[in-house]
Amino acid sequence: MNGYGLFLRRAAAARACRALVAFTASRRPLRTSPQSRAFAKELCLGKIEKNGVFPFPEVSQEELNEINQLVKPVEKFFMEEVDSRKIDQEGKIPNDTLEKLRSLGLFGMQIPEEYGGLGLSHTMYARLGEAISLDGSITVTLAAHQAIGLKGIILVGTEEQKTRYLPRLASGEHIAAFCLTEPNSGSDAASIQTRAVLSEDKKHYILNGSKIWISNGGLASVFTVFARTKVADANGSAKDKITAFIVERDFGGVTNGKPEDKLGIRGSNTCEVHFEDTKVPVENVLGEVGGGFKLAMNILNSGRFSMGSLSAAMIKKLIEMTAEYACTRKQFNRKLSEFGLIQEKFALMAQKAYVMESMAYLTAGMLDQPGLLDCSVEAAIVKVFSSEGVWQCVSEALQILGGSGYMKDQPYERMLRDARILLIFEGTNEILRLFIALAGLQHAGRILTTRMNELKRGSVRVIMETVGQRLRDSLGQTVDMGLTGQLGLVHPSLEDSATKLEQNVYYFGRTVEALLSRFGKSIVDEQLVLKRVANILINMYGMVAVLSRASRSVRIGLRDHDHEVLLANMFCVEAYFQNLFSLSQLDKDAPENLDHQTKKIAQQILEKRAYICAHPLDRMS
Amino acid sequence: MSCVRAVLLAQCLPRSRAGVQNAVLPGALFSQVPPFLPRGLHCSSSPLSSVKAPVPRPPEPGKKPGEVRAPHEELFQPAPGGARDKASFALAVQNFGRHSVRKRGHVDFIYLALRKMPEFGVERDLAAYNLLLDVFPKEVFRPRSAFQRIFTHYPRQQECGVAVLEQMERHGVMPNKETEFLLLQIFGRGSHPMLKYVRMRLWLTRFQNINPFPLPHELPQDVVELATLGLRRVEPDLSARVTVYQKSLPADTTDPVDPIQPHIVGIQSPDQQDALARHNPARPLFVEGPFSLWLRNKCVYYHILRADLPPPEEKDVEEIPEEWNLYYPMKLDLDYARSSWDDYEFDIDEVEEGPVFAICIAGAHDQETLAKWIQGLQEANPALARIPVVFRLAGSSGELRTASGLEDSRQTRREGQVDHEHLQRQQQSQS
Repeated sequence: MNGYGLFLRRAAAARACRALVAFTASRRPLRTSPQSRAFAKELCLGKIEKNGVFPFPEVSQEELNEINQLVKPVEKFFMEEVDSRKIDQEGKIPNDTLEKLRSLGLFGMQIPEEYGGLGLSHTMYARLGEAISLDGSITVTLAAHQAIGLKGIILVGTEEQKTRYLPRLASGEHIAAFCLTEPNSGSDAASIQTRAVLSEDKKHYILNGSKIWISNGGLASVFTVFARTKVADANGSAKDKITAFIVERDFGGVTNGKPEDKLGIRGSNTCEVHFEDTKVPVENVLGEVGGGFKLAMNILNSGRFSMGSLSAAMIKKLIEMTAEYACTRKQFNRKLSEFGLIQEKFALMAQKAYVMESMAYLTAGMLDQPGLLDCSVEAAIVKVFSSEGVWQCVSEALQILGGSGYMKDQPYERMLRDARILLIFEGTNEILRLFIALAGLQHAGRILTTRMNELKRGSVRVIMETVGQRLRDSLGQTVDMGLTGQLGLVHPSLEDSATKLEQNVYYFGRTVEALLSRFGKSIVDEQLVLKRVANILINMYGMVAVLSRASRSVRIGLRDHDHEVLLANMFCVEAYFQNLFSLSQLDKDAPENLDHQTKKIAQQILEKRAYICAHPLDRMS
Repeated sequence: MSCVRAVLLAQCLPRSRAGVQNAVLPGALFSQVPPFLPRGLHCSSSPLSSVKAPVPRPPEPGKKPGEVRAPHEELFQPAPGGARDKASFALAVQNFGRHSVRKRGHVDFIYLALRKMPEFGVERDLAAYNLLLDVFPKEVFRPRSAFQRIFTHYPRQQECGVAVLEQMERHGVMPNKETEFLLLQIFGRGSHPMLKYVRMRLWLTRFQNINPFPLPHELPQDVVELATLGLRRVEPDLSARVTVYQKSLPADTTDPVDPIQPHIVGIQSPDQQDALARHNPARPLFVEGPFSLWLRNKCVYYHILRADLPPPEEKDVEEIPEEWNLYYPMKLDLDYARSSWDDYEFDIDEVEEGPVFAICIAGAHDQETLAKWIQGLQEANPALARIPVVFRLAGSSGELRTASGLEDSRQTRREGQVDHEHLQRQQQSQS
């Protein structure tokens, strides 16, 4: 596309917008398939999978009452008794606080009720998470315990394992930890070195190795450990595969290093864990022998969605605290709240919180749907968006307070430090972006395979079809996916935004097709392209979430729904233009695309391993 | 002199030919180091250069023993106990002004001073050049009429001025405003030295940093440091580690058996270590060399430890393990690849070479010394002990080696011995 790519797209979008009204009623496709497919992946094909997304998922009144009853004491406890500052300073959660957390049942939120847990659904877990998000250290401790530490037992544990471990884990008598990372193995499972060898009597595995950066490593008495084992192949040859084990501290040979000194979440316990000739009974193999890799992926994928509600709650709290300050502090005889640059920050925080919440509960609702739906891409989207949003918002909140925000006696610097980890753990955002993009492209690529092959073979029909489509696109193809209109899924007050979303989705589908035909499977190595694909997907998922939620709010008449509409429209417009820009960058030879230069600069720097330019004060003679 | 050289050359020729023929056995690659380099390249004095060079060369000391000394030579004689440095150079220039108030013979003096500058260590000093230019009488050589301006006015003086600037250029000294002021005063705006000055201001800035691999102006004196510098220059990987396997002993040690212990300095990068660990022990390694490397006016010789390119069937195929990345797929399950119209790669025919595992610079180029290097390497590379090492040393390239002058005696002694290949198998089972 030429230099006016962005402009053309906007023009096309505007035309489509006008033409849309006429075509709406006649063109809406009828959907009969009951099985909804993964939403984010369908976006890559330029389609909106409306089942499961519209209407916004709801909980029943009884469930709502139940969760409110649960949340109230927890919130009260966190507001009144938890001293986050002290936890941060001492680097330890006091025992009586832990005791209280146990008595509130917070250690077994997602453990089924028959094993003594609260048996919360994903939605309710997200809601309760909001209450505990006020302290980063406690949140991480609890998340490491149940979102990843004991998740394996719930997912694939045998009945025996569940009855043996879950009740004591639910009560908080035992704390769980998830041991995957090793000095040489972050996301690279092939370089895991911890090894489990079957003993001669075939009753035990002997476990040897060290794991680093294990959250709860010093507190836990039950570990989910991933180790390499020899597994006989289908054709008889032995092969190294990863297997998960439940390891109790009492098995012997388990030691841990001293707690790491961290930037944030200082109250959570992170340390090395060493296993030396630890005898693990064969019954404690988690899942199948050799099935550890898939299990680890599942656990990691399932734990991410809750970060959205946690972050949103944090931002909501931040808004309250900073609004108080902005409305009382006066400069030049005007309150801070009257300054445009301060107002902007509040709008930003509200918008981010709104999108995060919408995404998080939409995803939680999808996960709670009957039937096994793969929502790992959506969960990753929630994680990436919310972690970056919360980092930005905490920084802006601190900025509102100026110098006093920087001081240790205000909580902002601690929140800033705590928030930084969100961008890193559970898969860094860079890695998750690759995952989001590649999962979507894989899905689209499979479906488009025949078409691509025909295109490559030079089938006249397919080529003519493609050319015709391009021509229609450039003339302002109307896009209607049935979101708007008389019986549309989106409320008329959000119609503009919905049209924008449809536009984005349509052109995104086109772009994905073009990318796949350009790069094929070698797109795996085009990380900068993948980043943009992921960014567009994240934005589009956010748009769907806010549109769905705001439409519901208007229709059922929730209070202040006009404010929601405002936020939703604002986000959609912003995201729309960001997407247009990213889409034009993804065009071939786009002048907006500076990847080539970026790579060249980085290569030159990395070759010398230093900043290259001469000092501005240097001279030749 | 040249007659003598020709005779020497003729004597060397058959012998080195034989050496080459010996060495060019199947698989041996000697293309990297031609055993004979054209003599003229490294000759210090060629008869033509002395005519063309703007700075008249100093009379060769051996040629005419009873030659008269250049005028003003006595000014540069070191004072008893005085060092030859910038201050004494400045003193000499001042003394000239005092000695000949009318500046008689100043052109000769400036040529002489230019030749003497390296001795005083001021050849890279801008102030010294400005001082030298200041010797010229001012205003005398400026053209006053149109005719003078058209024709070269005072050509000998202008040539001398250009010679000063050329020597500055050769040493990469950038003239400054003071130089410009002096030249204006001496020769005027349109003169040749002034034009030279303007061109230098333009081009020196462009060419001064043209070398992407700059060398320090002062090379280290210590052989080990010099070797380190050379190795760093040869090895592109910045994480490579330099190891000093053996330090040279001072020459006055009285060891009757082997009075000289040459230094051995080696470099190896972590990637090379890994590659060596993966190397198939059935395939031998080769120590090859010496290859020359020029560092300014010094030449060092390095040896490499390399292997032949493994045959295609032995190459370990890089396969993507099934369970590799916990977070995202490392390859897409699609059966179409990058389309041809989006492939910007040039069609380059790449010639693969065998891997190089380590490089060393040693004080001596015989097998004994290099075997010590290999032994030293075994500490960091245990796998090396199981691999046979073949020494393929080009002993006949003694021609070049006289430049460094350190080891020719030993070398000539061993030439016949190292010409043919030696198979040395280090047996670990013994140790």
